[in-house]
Amino acid sequence: MKPIRIALTKGRLEEKSIEMFEALGYDCSEVRNKGRRLVLPIKNANIEIILAKAADVITYVENGVCDLGVVGKDTIMETGGTFYEVVDLGFGRCKFALALPEGVDFYAGYHTRCIASKYVNVTRNYFEKKNMDVDIVKIEGSVELAPILGLSDAIVDIVETGTTLKENGLVVTEDVCQVSARLIVNIASMKLRKAEIEELIVKIERYVQEQEAQKI
Amino acid sequence: MKHYNKVTPEGTKDYIFDECSRKSHVTGNLKKIFQERGYRRVMTPAIEFYDVFGASADYLPQETMYKLMDHKGRLMVLCPDGTIPIARLTATRLLHMEMPLRLYYSHNVYRMANGLRGKSSEIYQCGAELIGSGSIRSDLEIMEMAASSLERISDGAGYRLELCHIGYFKALMESLGADEETQEEIRRNIEQKNFASLNDLLEQFPNNPAAAALKYLPRLFGGEEVFEQAYALFDDKNARESLDYLRNIYNSLQQLGLGDKVIIDLGLVNQAEYYTGIIFRGYFDAVGEPVLSGGRYDNLLNDFGTDLPAIGFAVNVDLASSIAEKHPPMTADVLVMAADDTYLVKTIQYRKQLIAKGQIVENCVLENREDAIGYAMRCGIAQVHIIGKTTEIIDVEQVNV
Repeated sequence: MKPIRIALTKGRLEEKSIEMFEALGYDCSEVRNKGRRLVLPIKNANIEIILAKAADVITYVENGVCDLGVVGKDTIMETGGTFYEVVDLGFGRCKFALALPEGVDFYAGYHTRCIASKYVNVTRNYFEKKNMDVDIVKIEGSVELAPILGLSDAIVDIVETGTTLKENGLVVTEDVCQVSARLIVNIASMKLRKAEIEELIVKIERYVQEQEAQKI
Repeated sequence: MKHYNKVTPEGTKDYIFDECSRKSHVTGNLKKIFQERGYRRVMTPAIEFYDVFGASADYLPQETMYKLMDHKGRLMVLCPDGTIPIARLTATRLLHMEMPLRLYYSHNVYRMANGLRGKSSEIYQCGAELIGSGSIRSDLEIMEMAASSLERISDGAGYRLELCHIGYFKALMESLGADEETQEEIRRNIEQKNFASLNDLLEQFPNNPAAAALKYLPRLFGGEEVFEQAYALFDDKNARESLDYLRNIYNSLQQLGLGDKVIIDLGLVNQAEYYTGIIFRGYFDAVGEPVLSGGRYDNLLNDFGTDLPAIGFAVNVDLASSIAEKHPPMTADVLVMAADDTYLVKTIQYRKQLIAKGQIVENCVLENREDAIGYAMRCGIAQVHIIGKTTEIIDVEQVNV
């Protein structure tokens, strides 16, 4: 039987994802000692792990070359796509927020606001819901620079602790939404390999509940 | 400006040799299945007025349609869907026909895909529609045809046929009594099997049996056991009727020997689409998207001023042919060559004789004997026949190079 392929997001969510799979009893030694390899077998189960950038996790799952994926809600909101989003994994918690220079009233005056963001779709959807026309500028790196340099009135970005914002004289004025890591599943895989995938989902849900219980 | 004179537009591709054979193989099989059951082919134009699809904005967002303008400035689109033109055609030019109507089509549809996601914008669809009957007889007829289509075109690879009845979901929603916006959000979360946000959303309906059932709806997929779970979750006349109906179809398909190839997913609640009763989809092993999709659409013809129930399905031929058996590259059996220009007509006559015997015969346009043999060797053509006063037959394999 073909192994179940799981795509994990590299970086911020990687360690927590591996911890979760280890807690479920999967041997992730190959994943931890990956070297330069990109496809990593789980030794004690018929599972292969792929490490990829967030948006690529969605692409691989959507096209069915990976059956499952772990990816942040931020990327899901920005990229979209057709797949099942089955579990809120509870880790990688942060939020999308609107931030602007301290003391500025975002809604004062009539001019069309300019918003800088790496997440242009999230930004567009947010302001469309408010029926506001805004100019959106895509910034790849440190978005905080845009209002400081006078390119934009505000930014929409991921906020974890808010330290970077504070150090650059910006304050969060509105929360756009909360985000966290999600387990996503390819639509056809869910139907064709129901038993295996469902078993995995149930295990993961139990793990998430235990983690939540520990926090309380 | 000739920047784009050597590429095809994003989302389209050239199909070459074997890829074409595989597509024709799949469409050929489907056409055969449709024709054997008395379905007749119609061809609708590739360009239609935008208004034909305008009422369907919920499931065919306008930004996915390719738009053009005609000489009077009217908005046209490249046909984005197979079923809606059939509804238009039936509600206008075929109304006088004896009902039910059995129609099939086989053509490209165009939906602008998001760029760089590996999705096509030009999709070859082959589909069938049974119009003018709303009974279980017609549902079962179409379901059997869908199953046979999957069986035939899967070429032995694994497939699944997934069934749902939208009535169960509708009954739950009616009993829940949420406003339209919440309803849409609930539907979307069920469709995406987003358990977490579905739960959050339904928290606002405490002690509501419909809400409890909706929370569980994304998990209601699988085999026979789904029915018992669904009956137990929610007891209401409409819900029960839908489940009874679905079970009846499921059992019939079981009797036809489909076994675990048929699965139930009561959470198959596509964005409205036009479906009103039975909804179904077909999957192949190793293909990440549904290959076949269909359902009952009793309200669609209403958009065109006629009240006729209908059911149908379409197969995405491009996806289906991606797993179809590879066809060996076609080469000619014989290369015929005129010894010199005085034998051109004789060569044509000779070639026709061979073709009549069922051989694939290529005409040689090279003038030199060695060139012809070399060409045949490189192309894998077994024999060269040189037509002169006599006919010389050369077995290419035996020629010393």
